[in-house]
Amino acid sequence: MELLKRYLQAVAEHLPARGRQDTLAELKANLESEIEGREEELGRNLTEAEVAAVLEAHGMPVLVASRYGSQHFLIGPSLFPVYWYTLKRSFPLVVLAYTVVQMVDIFFNSGSGAELGHRIGTAIGHFPAVALTFWGIMTLGFAVFEYGQGSFFPRMTLPKWSVRDLPPLERTEKKKHSFASGIADLIVSILMVVWLLAVPNHPYLILGPGMKVLHDTPFALTPEWHVIYWQFLGLLIAMLPLKAAMLLPSLRHARGWLQLAVKALGFLILVIMVQVRTFFVSGSSISAQNLHSLQGINNGITLGFKLALAISAVNFLWELWQEISAGQHRRAHYAAVL
Amino acid sequence: MEQRTKDEAPTNSSFDPDTPGAELFDSLRLELRRGCLVLAVLAQLHQEHYGYTLRKSLSETGLEIEESTLYPLLRRLETQGLLTSQWREEEKRNKRFYRLSAHGHRILDLLLAEWNRINDSLNKIVQKER
Repeated sequence: MELLKRYLQAVAEHLPARGRQDTLAELKANLESEIEGREEELGRNLTEAEVAAVLEAHGMPVLVASRYGSQHFLIGPSLFPVYWYTLKRSFPLVVLAYTVVQMVDIFFNSGSGAELGHRIGTAIGHFPAVALTFWGIMTLGFAVFEYGQGSFFPRMTLPKWSVRDLPPLERTEKKKHSFASGIADLIVSILMVVWLLAVPNHPYLILGPGMKVLHDTPFALTPEWHVIYWQFLGLLIAMLPLKAAMLLPSLRHARGWLQLAVKALGFLILVIMVQVRTFFVSGSSISAQNLHSLQGINNGITLGFKLALAISAVNFLWELWQEISAGQHRRAHYAAVL
Repeated sequence: MEQRTKDEAPTNSSFDPDTPGAELFDSLRLELRRGCLVLAVLAQLHQEHYGYTLRKSLSETGLEIEESTLYPLLRRLETQGLLTSQWREEEKRNKRFYRLSAHGHRILDLLLAEWNRINDSLNKIVQKER
Protein backbone atom coordinates (compact mmCIF):
# COMPACT_ATOMS: atom_id res chain seq x y z
CA MET A 1 0.00 0.00 0.00
CA GLU A 2 3.02 2.28 -0.25
CA LEU A 3 1.89 3.40 -3.68
CA LEU A 4 -1.49 4.43 -2.26
CA LYS A 5 0.21 6.44 0.50
CA ARG A 6 2.46 8.15 -2.03
CA TYR A 7 -0.55 8.89 -4.22
CA LEU A 8 -2.51 10.39 -1.30
CA GLN A 9 0.52 12.43 -0.29
CA ALA A 10 0.75 13.85 -3.81
CA VAL A 11 -2.98 14.68 -3.83
CA ALA A 12 -2.68 16.29 -0.37
CA GLU A 13 -0.03 18.66 -1.67
CA HIS A 14 -2.59 20.30 -3.96
CA LEU A 15 -5.67 20.15 -1.72
CA PRO A 16 -6.91 23.29 0.03
CA ALA A 17 -5.77 23.31 3.68
CA ARG A 18 -9.34 23.58 4.89
CA GLY A 19 -10.84 20.07 5.04
CA ARG A 20 -7.69 18.44 3.67
CA GLN A 21 -7.52 15.61 6.23
CA ASP A 22 -11.21 14.89 5.86
CA THR A 23 -10.97 14.71 2.06
CA LEU A 24 -7.89 12.49 2.25
CA ALA A 25 -9.52 10.10 4.71
CA GLU A 26 -12.53 9.74 2.44
CA LEU A 27 -10.38 9.32 -0.65
CA LYS A 28 -8.25 6.70 1.11
CA ALA A 29 -11.33 4.70 2.17
CA ASN A 30 -12.75 4.81 -1.35
CA LEU A 31 -9.48 3.82 -3.02
CA GLU A 32 -8.89 0.98 -0.56
CA SER A 33 -12.40 -0.28 -1.29
CA GLU A 34 -11.67 0.02 -5.01
CA ILE A 35 -8.51 -2.06 -4.65
CA GLU A 36 -10.26 -4.63 -2.46
CA GLY A 37 -13.08 -4.84 -4.95
CA ARG A 38 -10.61 -5.69 -7.70
CA GLU A 39 -8.95 -8.25 -5.44
CA GLU A 40 -12.31 -9.90 -4.76
CA GLU A 41 -13.00 -10.07 -8.50
CA LEU A 42 -9.60 -11.69 -9.19
CA GLY A 43 -9.54 -13.85 -6.03
CA ARG A 44 -5.99 -12.77 -5.17
CA ASN A 45 -3.97 -9.77 -4.02
CA LEU A 46 -3.22 -7.14 -6.65
CA THR A 47 0.34 -6.81 -7.88
CA GLU A 48 2.10 -3.48 -7.57
CA ALA A 49 1.52 -2.83 -11.27
CA GLU A 50 -2.21 -3.48 -10.88
CA VAL A 51 -2.45 -1.14 -7.86
CA ALA A 52 -0.59 1.47 -9.91
CA ALA A 53 -3.10 0.99 -12.74
CA VAL A 54 -6.04 1.58 -10.33
CA LEU A 55 -4.45 4.78 -9.02
CA GLU A 56 -3.47 6.01 -12.47
CA ALA A 57 -7.04 5.44 -13.65
CA HIS A 58 -8.21 7.58 -10.73
CA GLY A 59 -6.33 10.51 -12.20
CA MET A 60 -3.28 12.72 -11.91
CA PRO A 61 -2.97 14.01 -8.31
CA VAL A 62 -3.03 17.69 -9.23
CA LEU A 63 -6.19 17.24 -11.32
CA VAL A 64 -7.90 15.12 -8.68
CA ALA A 65 -7.13 17.72 -6.01
CA SER A 66 -8.30 20.56 -8.25
CA ARG A 67 -11.78 19.03 -8.43
CA TYR A 68 -12.16 19.48 -4.68
CA GLY A 69 -11.48 23.21 -4.98
CA SER A 70 -14.45 25.52 -4.56
CA GLN A 71 -13.70 27.73 -7.56
CA HIS A 72 -11.92 26.78 -10.78
CA PHE A 73 -12.03 30.08 -12.58
CA LEU A 74 -10.86 33.62 -12.07
CA ILE A 75 -13.93 35.21 -13.63
CA GLY A 76 -17.09 33.13 -13.88
CA PRO A 77 -19.43 32.86 -16.87
CA SER A 78 -21.98 35.30 -15.41
CA LEU A 79 -19.39 38.03 -14.80
CA PHE A 80 -17.22 37.37 -17.87
CA PRO A 81 -19.41 39.26 -20.42
CA VAL A 82 -19.34 42.33 -18.14
CA TYR A 83 -15.56 41.98 -17.76
CA TRP A 84 -15.06 41.66 -21.50
CA TYR A 85 -17.36 44.59 -22.27
CA THR A 86 -15.61 46.80 -19.70
CA LEU A 87 -12.22 45.83 -21.10
CA LYS A 88 -13.28 46.58 -24.67
CA ARG A 89 -14.90 49.90 -23.75
CA SER A 90 -12.18 51.18 -21.47
CA PHE A 91 -9.11 50.18 -23.48
CA PRO A 92 -9.55 52.97 -26.09
CA LEU A 93 -9.89 55.42 -23.18
CA VAL A 94 -6.56 54.17 -21.81
CA VAL A 95 -5.03 54.75 -25.25
CA LEU A 96 -6.56 58.23 -25.27
CA ALA A 97 -5.36 59.18 -21.78
CA TYR A 98 -1.87 57.78 -22.38
CA THR A 99 -1.52 59.53 -25.76
CA VAL A 100 -2.68 62.89 -24.44
CA VAL A 101 -0.47 62.80 -21.32
CA GLN A 102 2.57 61.68 -23.30
CA MET A 103 2.05 64.16 -26.12
CA VAL A 104 1.57 67.11 -23.78
CA ASP A 105 4.78 66.13 -22.02
CA ILE A 106 6.63 65.59 -25.31
CA PHE A 107 5.54 68.81 -27.03
CA PHE A 108 6.19 71.07 -24.06
CA ASN A 109 9.39 69.49 -22.79
CA SER A 110 11.26 68.64 -26.00
CA GLY A 111 14.07 71.04 -26.71
CA SER A 112 14.87 69.95 -30.26
CA GLY A 113 13.55 67.89 -33.13
CA ALA A 114 15.87 64.99 -32.30
CA GLU A 115 14.73 64.95 -28.69
CA LEU A 116 11.12 65.04 -29.86
CA GLY A 117 11.67 61.92 -32.01
CA HIS A 118 13.44 60.14 -29.19
CA ARG A 119 10.67 60.93 -26.70
CA ILE A 120 7.94 59.76 -29.12
CA GLY A 121 9.83 56.47 -29.63
CA THR A 122 10.16 55.98 -25.87
CA ALA A 123 6.47 56.71 -25.31
CA ILE A 124 5.46 54.14 -27.96
CA GLY A 125 7.89 51.59 -26.48
CA HIS A 126 6.38 51.99 -22.99
CA PHE A 127 2.81 51.52 -24.15
CA PRO A 128 2.73 47.66 -24.12
CA ALA A 129 3.73 47.71 -20.44
CA VAL A 130 0.96 50.25 -19.71
CA ALA A 131 -1.61 48.14 -21.62
CA LEU A 132 -0.50 44.98 -19.81
CA THR A 133 -0.71 46.71 -16.42
CA PHE A 134 -4.20 47.97 -17.26
CA TRP A 135 -5.30 44.46 -18.30
CA GLY A 136 -3.76 42.94 -15.15
CA ILE A 137 -5.45 45.43 -12.82
CA MET A 138 -8.83 45.01 -14.52
CA THR A 139 -8.57 41.21 -14.42
CA LEU A 140 -7.47 41.24 -10.79
CA GLY A 141 -10.30 43.60 -9.86
CA PHE A 142 -12.92 41.39 -11.52
CA ALA A 143 -11.35 38.23 -10.05
CA VAL A 144 -11.54 39.75 -6.55
CA PHE A 145 -15.15 40.73 -7.18
CA GLU A 146 -15.96 37.23 -8.47
CA TYR A 147 -14.34 35.65 -5.42
CA GLY A 148 -15.99 37.97 -2.92
CA GLN A 149 -19.44 38.38 -4.45
CA GLY A 150 -22.14 37.02 -2.23
CA SER A 151 -19.89 37.14 0.83
CA PHE A 152 -17.89 40.39 0.81
CA PHE A 153 -19.82 42.22 -1.92
CA PRO A 154 -23.48 42.00 -2.92
CA ARG A 155 -24.09 39.57 -5.78
CA MET A 156 -24.08 41.25 -9.16
CA THR A 157 -27.52 41.84 -10.62
CA LEU A 158 -28.15 43.05 -14.11
CA PRO A 159 -29.88 46.43 -14.37
CA LYS A 160 -33.53 46.51 -15.42
CA TRP A 161 -33.91 47.28 -19.07
CA SER A 162 -36.63 47.60 -21.63
CA VAL A 163 -36.48 46.93 -25.32
CA ARG A 164 -38.14 50.32 -25.81
CA ASP A 165 -35.04 52.04 -24.35
CA LEU A 166 -32.79 50.56 -27.05
CA PRO A 167 -31.47 53.03 -29.65
CA PRO A 168 -33.50 53.43 -32.83
CA LEU A 169 -32.65 51.44 -35.92
CA GLU A 170 -29.61 52.79 -37.70
CA ARG A 171 -30.09 53.38 -41.38
CA THR A 172 -28.09 50.75 -43.13
CA GLU A 173 -26.79 53.02 -45.84
CA LYS A 174 -25.32 55.34 -43.21
CA LYS A 175 -21.82 54.37 -42.12
CA LYS A 176 -21.94 52.91 -38.61
CA HIS A 177 -20.16 54.94 -35.96
CA SER A 178 -17.29 53.00 -34.44
CA PHE A 179 -16.16 53.66 -30.88
CA ALA A 180 -12.51 53.07 -31.81
CA SER A 181 -12.65 55.52 -34.71
CA GLY A 182 -14.33 58.07 -32.40
CA ILE A 183 -11.48 57.69 -29.91
CA ALA A 184 -8.90 57.98 -32.71
CA ASP A 185 -10.61 61.15 -33.95
CA LEU A 186 -10.56 62.63 -30.45
CA ILE A 187 -6.88 61.73 -30.01
CA VAL A 188 -5.97 63.40 -33.31
CA SER A 189 -7.99 66.51 -32.39
CA ILE A 190 -6.31 66.77 -28.97
CA LEU A 191 -2.91 66.30 -30.63
CA MET A 192 -3.76 69.05 -33.07
CA VAL A 193 -4.62 71.46 -30.20
CA VAL A 194 -1.48 70.48 -28.24
CA TRP A 195 0.60 70.91 -31.37
CA LEU A 196 -0.86 74.36 -32.03
CA LEU A 197 -0.28 75.41 -28.43
CA ALA A 198 3.34 74.27 -28.64
CA VAL A 199 4.07 75.93 -32.02
CA PRO A 200 4.67 79.53 -30.77
CA ASN A 201 7.50 78.36 -28.49
CA HIS A 202 8.75 75.60 -30.78
CA PRO A 203 8.53 76.91 -34.37
CA TYR A 204 10.35 73.85 -35.71
CA LEU A 205 7.12 71.91 -35.08
CA ILE A 206 5.60 73.57 -38.18
CA LEU A 207 7.99 72.35 -40.82
CA GLY A 208 10.84 70.78 -38.86
CA PRO A 209 14.17 71.41 -40.59
CA GLY A 210 12.19 73.06 -43.46
CA MET A 211 11.65 76.08 -41.18
CA LYS A 212 15.16 77.24 -42.05
CA VAL A 213 14.19 77.39 -45.74
CA LEU A 214 11.18 79.56 -44.85
CA HIS A 215 13.47 81.98 -43.03
CA ASP A 216 15.52 82.40 -46.20
CA THR A 217 12.49 83.34 -48.34
CA PRO A 218 11.57 87.00 -48.92
CA PHE A 219 8.09 86.33 -47.45
CA ALA A 220 6.84 86.50 -43.87
CA LEU A 221 3.59 85.61 -42.14
CA THR A 222 1.06 88.42 -41.92
CA PRO A 223 0.54 89.88 -38.39
CA GLU A 224 -3.12 88.84 -38.81
CA TRP A 225 -1.97 85.33 -37.89
CA HIS A 226 -1.76 86.45 -34.25
CA VAL A 227 -5.56 86.95 -34.32
CA ILE A 228 -6.38 84.00 -36.58
CA TYR A 229 -4.29 81.70 -34.44
CA TRP A 230 -6.46 82.24 -31.35
CA GLN A 231 -9.73 82.07 -33.28
CA PHE A 232 -8.58 78.90 -34.95
CA LEU A 233 -7.42 77.41 -31.63
CA GLY A 234 -10.65 78.42 -29.87
CA LEU A 235 -12.78 76.65 -32.48
CA LEU A 236 -10.61 73.52 -32.33
CA ILE A 237 -10.87 73.45 -28.52
CA ALA A 238 -14.66 73.90 -28.77
CA MET A 239 -14.77 70.74 -30.93
CA LEU A 240 -13.19 68.58 -28.19
CA PRO A 241 -16.15 68.34 -25.76
CA LEU A 242 -18.48 67.67 -28.71
CA LYS A 243 -16.25 64.84 -29.95
CA ALA A 244 -15.98 63.44 -26.42
CA ALA A 245 -19.78 63.60 -26.03
CA MET A 246 -20.15 61.57 -29.24
CA LEU A 247 -18.42 58.67 -27.48
CA LEU A 248 -20.99 58.51 -24.68
CA PRO A 249 -23.51 55.69 -25.18
CA SER A 250 -26.18 57.77 -23.41
CA LEU A 251 -25.89 60.42 -26.14
CA ARG A 252 -26.05 57.93 -29.00
CA HIS A 253 -29.42 59.30 -30.14
CA ALA A 254 -27.90 62.81 -30.47
CA ARG A 255 -24.73 61.65 -32.25
CA GLY A 256 -25.90 62.95 -35.63
CA TRP A 257 -26.53 66.42 -34.24
CA LEU A 258 -23.21 66.47 -32.38
CA GLN A 259 -21.48 65.51 -35.61
CA LEU A 260 -23.24 68.40 -37.33
CA ALA A 261 -22.14 70.79 -34.57
CA VAL A 262 -18.51 69.69 -35.09
CA LYS A 263 -18.92 70.25 -38.83
CA ALA A 264 -20.37 73.71 -38.18
CA LEU A 265 -17.28 74.63 -36.16
CA GLY A 266 -15.10 73.30 -38.99
CA PHE A 267 -17.15 75.44 -41.36
CA LEU A 268 -16.47 78.52 -39.17
CA ILE A 269 -12.72 77.84 -39.41
CA LEU A 270 -13.01 78.02 -43.20
CA VAL A 271 -15.07 81.23 -42.95
CA ILE A 272 -12.27 82.82 -40.90
CA MET A 273 -9.64 81.66 -43.38
CA VAL A 274 -11.58 83.08 -46.34
CA GLN A 275 -11.81 86.48 -44.65
CA VAL A 276 -8.03 86.67 -44.12
CA ARG A 277 -7.15 87.16 -47.83
CA THR A 278 -3.48 87.99 -47.05
CA PHE A 279 -1.58 85.10 -45.58
CA PHE A 280 1.98 86.19 -46.40
CA VAL A 281 3.53 89.63 -46.64
CA SER A 282 6.80 90.69 -48.16
CA GLY A 283 10.03 90.72 -46.17
CA SER A 284 12.39 93.68 -45.83
CA SER A 285 13.76 93.45 -49.37
CA ILE A 286 11.74 91.93 -52.17
CA SER A 287 12.01 92.06 -55.94
CA ALA A 288 9.11 93.02 -58.20
CA GLN A 289 8.96 89.46 -59.51
CA ASN A 290 8.69 88.03 -55.96
CA LEU A 291 6.05 90.61 -55.09
CA HIS A 292 4.01 89.37 -58.04
CA SER A 293 4.52 85.78 -56.89
CA LEU A 294 3.43 86.74 -53.36
CA GLN A 295 0.17 88.14 -54.68
CA GLY A 296 -0.35 84.93 -56.65
CA ILE A 297 0.30 82.82 -53.56
CA ASN A 298 -2.18 84.80 -51.43
CA ASN A 299 -4.82 84.70 -54.18
CA GLY A 300 -4.25 80.98 -54.67
CA ILE A 301 -4.64 80.21 -50.97
CA THR A 302 -7.76 82.36 -50.71
CA LEU A 303 -9.27 80.66 -53.76
CA GLY A 304 -8.46 77.26 -52.24
CA PHE A 305 -10.23 78.18 -48.98
CA LYS A 306 -13.21 79.59 -50.93
CA LEU A 307 -13.58 76.30 -52.81
CA ALA A 308 -13.25 74.34 -49.56
CA LEU A 309 -15.87 76.60 -47.96
CA ALA A 310 -18.30 76.06 -50.85
CA ILE A 311 -17.86 72.25 -50.74
CA SER A 312 -18.15 72.26 -46.97
CA ALA A 313 -21.36 74.35 -47.11
CA VAL A 314 -22.99 71.94 -49.58
CA ASN A 315 -21.86 68.94 -47.53
CA PHE A 316 -23.16 70.53 -44.31
CA LEU A 317 -26.56 71.31 -45.80
CA TRP A 318 -26.84 67.80 -47.24
CA GLU A 319 -26.04 66.20 -43.87
CA LEU A 320 -28.40 68.58 -42.07
CA TRP A 321 -31.21 67.56 -44.41
CA GLN A 322 -30.37 63.88 -43.92
CA GLU A 323 -30.44 64.25 -40.13
CA ILE A 324 -33.78 66.05 -40.22
CA SER A 325 -35.33 63.44 -42.51
CA ALA A 326 -33.85 60.60 -40.41
CA GLY A 327 -35.44 62.15 -37.30
CA GLN A 328 -38.82 62.31 -39.04
CA HIS A 329 -38.41 58.70 -40.21
CA ARG A 330 -37.61 57.55 -36.65
CA ARG A 331 -40.61 59.38 -35.20
CA ALA A 332 -42.91 57.90 -37.86
CA HIS A 333 -41.52 54.41 -37.22
CA TYR A 334 -41.95 54.76 -33.46
CA ALA A 335 -45.54 55.94 -33.91
CA ALA A 336 -46.22 52.92 -36.16
CA VAL A 337 -44.79 50.54 -33.54
CA LEU A 338 -46.92 52.09 -30.82
CA MET B 1 -1.82 13.82 -24.61
CA GLU B 2 -4.65 14.22 -22.12
CA GLN B 3 -5.74 10.97 -20.52
CA ARG B 4 -9.24 9.96 -21.51
CA THR B 5 -11.47 9.69 -18.45
CA LYS B 6 -14.32 7.24 -17.97
CA ASP B 7 -16.72 10.17 -18.19
CA GLU B 8 -15.40 10.77 -21.65
CA ALA B 9 -14.95 7.08 -22.45
CA PRO B 10 -16.53 5.92 -25.70
CA THR B 11 -19.92 4.29 -25.32
CA ASN B 12 -22.05 2.44 -27.83
CA SER B 13 -23.30 5.79 -29.06
CA SER B 14 -19.87 7.32 -29.63
CA PHE B 15 -17.85 6.95 -32.77
CA ASP B 16 -14.26 6.61 -33.89
CA PRO B 17 -12.15 9.47 -32.48
CA ASP B 18 -10.62 9.96 -35.93
CA THR B 19 -14.02 10.53 -37.51
CA PRO B 20 -14.67 14.21 -38.32
CA GLY B 21 -16.86 15.71 -35.60
CA ALA B 22 -15.81 13.17 -32.95
CA GLU B 23 -14.38 15.88 -30.73
CA LEU B 24 -17.53 17.96 -30.99
CA PHE B 25 -19.66 14.91 -30.26
CA ASP B 26 -17.58 14.11 -27.16
CA SER B 27 -17.89 17.66 -25.89
CA LEU B 28 -21.69 17.75 -26.43
CA ARG B 29 -22.07 14.31 -24.88
CA LEU B 30 -20.12 15.42 -21.82
CA GLU B 31 -22.37 18.45 -21.49
CA LEU B 32 -25.47 16.27 -21.79
CA ARG B 33 -24.21 13.79 -19.20
CA ARG B 34 -23.17 16.41 -16.64
CA GLY B 35 -26.69 17.28 -15.47
CA CYS B 36 -27.90 13.69 -15.82
CA LEU B 37 -25.14 12.44 -13.51
CA VAL B 38 -26.24 14.80 -10.73
CA LEU B 39 -29.79 13.51 -11.13
CA ALA B 40 -28.62 9.89 -11.07
CA VAL B 41 -26.46 10.42 -7.98
CA LEU B 42 -29.28 12.14 -6.11
CA ALA B 43 -31.76 9.44 -7.09
CA GLN B 44 -29.37 6.67 -6.06
CA LEU B 45 -28.82 8.27 -2.68
CA HIS B 46 -32.37 7.61 -1.55
CA GLN B 47 -30.43 4.71 -0.11
CA GLU B 48 -27.28 5.34 1.94
CA HIS B 49 -23.96 4.77 0.15
CA TYR B 50 -20.33 5.63 0.49
CA GLY B 51 -18.33 6.71 -2.55
CA TYR B 52 -17.15 3.33 -3.80
CA THR B 53 -20.46 1.47 -3.41
CA LEU B 54 -22.34 4.36 -4.99
CA ARG B 55 -20.07 4.21 -8.00
CA LYS B 56 -20.53 0.45 -8.23
CA SER B 57 -24.30 0.67 -7.96
CA LEU B 58 -24.43 3.34 -10.67
CA SER B 59 -22.14 1.24 -12.84
CA GLU B 60 -24.40 -1.80 -12.40
CA THR B 61 -27.30 0.22 -13.81
CA GLY B 62 -25.13 1.08 -16.83
CA LEU B 63 -24.05 4.56 -15.76
CA GLU B 64 -20.27 4.67 -15.59
CA ILE B 65 -18.85 7.60 -13.66
CA GLU B 66 -15.23 8.32 -12.93
CA GLU B 67 -14.15 8.24 -9.28
CA SER B 68 -12.43 11.59 -9.49
CA THR B 69 -15.67 13.09 -10.78
CA LEU B 70 -18.01 11.36 -8.37
CA TYR B 71 -16.22 11.95 -5.08
CA PRO B 72 -15.85 15.74 -5.44
CA LEU B 73 -19.44 15.85 -6.75
CA LEU B 74 -20.65 14.26 -3.51
CA ARG B 75 -18.80 16.93 -1.55
CA ARG B 76 -20.34 19.68 -3.66
CA LEU B 77 -23.86 18.32 -3.31
CA GLU B 78 -23.35 18.10 0.43
CA THR B 79 -22.14 21.71 0.55
CA GLN B 80 -25.26 22.70 -1.35
CA GLY B 81 -27.36 21.00 1.34
CA LEU B 82 -28.72 18.27 -0.93
CA LEU B 83 -26.91 15.43 0.88
CA THR B 84 -26.01 14.65 4.45
CA SER B 85 -22.97 12.58 5.38
CA GLN B 86 -21.80 10.58 8.32
CA TRP B 87 -18.50 8.88 9.13
CA ARG B 88 -19.07 5.31 10.28
CA GLU B 89 -16.99 2.20 10.69
CA GLU B 90 -17.81 -0.63 8.34
CA GLU B 91 -15.69 -3.73 7.78
CA LYS B 92 -13.06 -2.36 10.17
CA ARG B 93 -12.67 0.83 8.14
CA ASN B 94 -14.02 4.33 8.59
CA LYS B 95 -16.16 5.38 5.63
CA ARG B 96 -18.19 8.43 4.83
CA PHE B 97 -21.78 7.54 4.06
CA TYR B 98 -24.02 9.87 2.11
CA ARG B 99 -27.79 10.07 1.75
CA LEU B 100 -30.34 12.54 0.49
CA SER B 101 -31.27 15.35 2.87
CA ALA B 102 -34.87 16.56 3.21
CA HIS B 103 -33.97 19.51 0.96
CA GLY B 104 -32.34 17.07 -1.47
CA HIS B 105 -35.59 15.08 -1.64
CA ARG B 106 -37.57 18.15 -2.62
CA ILE B 107 -35.01 19.22 -5.21
CA LEU B 108 -34.81 15.71 -6.62
CA ASP B 109 -38.60 15.56 -7.06
CA LEU B 110 -38.53 18.86 -8.92
CA LEU B 111 -35.59 17.78 -11.07
CA LEU B 112 -37.25 14.45 -11.89
CA ALA B 113 -40.43 16.24 -12.93
CA GLU B 114 -38.34 18.52 -15.16
CA TRP B 115 -36.43 15.55 -16.54
CA ASN B 116 -39.70 13.78 -17.42
CA ARG B 117 -41.03 16.88 -19.15
CA ILE B 118 -37.85 17.19 -21.22
CA ASN B 119 -37.86 13.48 -21.98
CA ASP B 120 -41.51 13.54 -23.11
CA SER B 121 -40.90 16.56 -25.31
CA LEU B 122 -37.82 15.02 -26.83
CA ASN B 123 -39.67 11.79 -27.53
CA LYS B 124 -42.44 13.72 -29.27
CA ILE B 125 -39.93 15.67 -31.34
CA VAL B 126 -37.95 12.57 -32.30
CA GLN B 127 -41.12 10.63 -33.18
CA LYS B 128 -42.31 13.52 -35.34
CA GLU B 129 -38.94 13.52 -37.10
CA ARG B 130 -39.34 9.82 -37.89
